[in-house]
Amino acid sequence: MVDWSVAVPSFLTALVEWVEAFTIVLAVSLSIGWRAALGASLAGLATLAVLTLVAGRLLLTGLDIGTVQLVVGVFLLLFGVRWLAKAMARHAGLKPLHDEAAEFEQTRAGLRGEYAAGWMVAYKGVLLEGLEVWLVVVALGMKTADGAGMASSAGAAIVALLLTCAVGAAVRAPLQRVPENAIKFAVGAMIVAFGTYWTMEGIGGPDTWPLSDWTLPLLDAFYLVAGLAVATVMRTRVRMRREAV
Amino acid sequence: MGPFVKTLFGDARNVAVVAVLLVLEVVLLRAGYGHAATVLVPLATFAGVAVLARG
Repeated sequence: MVDWSVAVPSFLTALVEWVEAFTIVLAVSLSIGWRAALGASLAGLATLAVLTLVAGRLLLTGLDIGTVQLVVGVFLLLFGVRWLAKAMARHAGLKPLHDEAAEFEQTRAGLRGEYAAGWMVAYKGVLLEGLEVWLVVVALGMKTADGAGMASSAGAAIVALLLTCAVGAAVRAPLQRVPENAIKFAVGAMIVAFGTYWTMEGIGGPDTWPLSDWTLPLLDAFYLVAGLAVATVMRTRVRMRREAV
Repeated sequence: MGPFVKTLFGDARNVAVVAVLLVLEVVLLRAGYGHAATVLVPLATFAGVAVLARG
């Protein structure tokens, strides 16, 4: 049975990160060839798989559920707060939108057929983008103790990876049409909601939230609506300031 | 190591915001203000996000 409350944020997070990783791998492949770029990507994914196994063991061995919730919640806050703030800044016009085409050209220009450097760029690109996917997959997957949450979370990330590879192989160009900022806004709010919920429960115990699990959609809605409202006000101010200059 | 640390934790401002939130949670929950914490912590979290967004 798929846990959609976990699968949807995992899928969206993974989609954004895999698209960014694909842009890097595509740029590198034009410099050192497809086979080498693919090999570096697979090495990056293999490192992530090892990390997932090690972290899973560490989190599930000898730690009580409150400690696990607190540790996972802190990482979700560190990640979600950053994403939501970045999405708000981009919505407000304080930060430029992420440009896959520019990223592609920049990576390509930085490589001039240097095999080892190109391989490392592809490996690190997949590893670093995948690290964020790993963090969210593991953290959201811990929602249920029976393994269903982890299966839903990891499955959604794998579907996003396959989808990105399939579309990327078909178009053979940076995937620019993914609405990255809208996804970051929505997922950022969800992850901050999970982070708030779990850190509080990790510190205060299972009865901290009076509405229990029903608190999560309320927190999510609050962060999303408040984020959009404040970012819109900020955008209006930024426009007025620019017009006044 | 630098890129990995930054990917996992973000920059110093990001870490500072989350650290302040955790201190607030501990203080409110340990002092017995659990109900107030369920309202104040989300408000404080959003305030931290807004501060980071302004840059």
